[in-house]
Amino acid sequence: MSRLPFLFIISGIFGFVMYHAFSLLSLTGWLGDELRGPQGWFHAHLFVLGWATMLAMGAVYQLIHVILQSNIYSLFLGYCHYFLFSIGIVGMLYGFIHADVIWIAGSAALVLSGILLFGWNMAVTLFRASQWNPVTISAACSCLYLVLTGLSGMLMGLNFAFGDWNGLHERLFGAHIWMGTLGWFGMLITGFSYKMLPMFYLSHNYSIRLQKVVLVLWNAAVITGVVAFLTGLKGGWLWFALLLLTAALLVYVYHLEQIQEKRHKSNPGPGIRWSVYVSRAFAAYAVALLIYSAQGTELLLHPRVVLLSGWIYLGGWVSLTILGYASKIVPFLWWTHKYGKQAGRPGTPLMAGMLSERNVHWGMIAMVAGSLLLVSGILINLAEVMMVGGTILSLVSIIYIANIALVFRR
Amino acid sequence: MHLLECLKEVYDPELGVNIVDLGLVYEVREEPERVHVWMTLTTPGCPLHDTIVGAVKWVLQENTNKTNIDVQVVWEPQWSPQRMSNEAKEMLGYF
Repeated sequence: MSRLPFLFIISGIFGFVMYHAFSLLSLTGWLGDELRGPQGWFHAHLFVLGWATMLAMGAVYQLIHVILQSNIYSLFLGYCHYFLFSIGIVGMLYGFIHADVIWIAGSAALVLSGILLFGWNMAVTLFRASQWNPVTISAACSCLYLVLTGLSGMLMGLNFAFGDWNGLHERLFGAHIWMGTLGWFGMLITGFSYKMLPMFYLSHNYSIRLQKVVLVLWNAAVITGVVAFLTGLKGGWLWFALLLLTAALLVYVYHLEQIQEKRHKSNPGPGIRWSVYVSRAFAAYAVALLIYSAQGTELLLHPRVVLLSGWIYLGGWVSLTILGYASKIVPFLWWTHKYGKQAGRPGTPLMAGMLSERNVHWGMIAMVAGSLLLVSGILINLAEVMMVGGTILSLVSIIYIANIALVFRR
Repeated sequence: MHLLECLKEVYDPELGVNIVDLGLVYEVREEPERVHVWMTLTTPGCPLHDTIVGAVKWVLQENTNKTNIDVQVVWEPQWSPQRMSNEAKEMLGYF
């Protein structure tokens, strides 16, 4: 097995620890702030690129041959992607800390180059395999949205440097965040879940019709949102995008139930179980937000609503799903690397013995509890509650990921 | 029968159940010079494909002293959970 997924996953774990360590060092003071300005950008990009995207890319490199039953187009491009992307992120974060535009611009160019290589590599791999189904189309869409997110980020950077399209900056900012969060992470998580869940639940003979419905609705939500931001229409269009997203989520959650109904294994592991729970919770939040904002669509862009939604989506659904899946992906990767050739021989440990399910279960509970306290603090606008929730979340997150990283010593 | 018993040493590492009880082995035929195995996996594109096939080859080499082990992974007939033994179903909490 290639070392490429290892590089991304280990770097992602490192990014996750750094993110929570910086949160603790800043006494979680930034948590309730809007993400504008160098400090907010630093934390947001460390979280989104250094942790979530890094680990997600590792998962893509690991799972793409499982999905397509064919190898990736170029491992060499994959390694080039890794070096450009990781060096770029470090430089970008340094630039944010020192508010140094030259560092930010140069490093962002490296990050974008890495993303473009990734996009190219995936596009050739997917088109060569030509196996189009909801899983592969979701993966293709997510990579496309990632590339567009990178390009829109670069356009914003150019505008910072030259100030040629100041009127467009705010519009690009909205589209950049919408495509990166809902497009890249959303399509990747839903698409890969269609493969991961049946594998771990040992589900057979379930209908995949609803996967196509989710694919259409989710893409429609992403495109509508992007159009709303780019045209500056926002309001009603954004609410309509939320309506489409909520519909996609409800269908997605229902489809996960269908997969579970056809299962032949009672316990898929706590990481997988919790990924289903957080999907249900996120769908419930989307419904609540849709009803709340129906009384005035401008409410969707109220800073506290944006902050709350950002935490529930990225800190909640995206991060907790990735952390849940990591409890399966990391032991699998390490077991295959270390013991794959010894399978069947006496004394070879089972994959299940690589990581304690009990620790994963309690780790997920503790992270969910910390997240709930944090979002409660944002909801009632009480800094003390946010600080306690953020501190608990950071501490238990570090313990949880350390427990997963210990797999590499087994 | 003897070779099937040997193949019970090969476990699906994720499920923790041996491949014979999982119903993955369709046929094992021993010839003077080599051993043929026709088997499947629980899902096409199973990430443990190479691992399980490698383990089957190793176990059969050890137990037959033959080096020519031909393992064919086939998708027809498709595996279904009904192929599992009662022991496997019990282990997976199927009942």
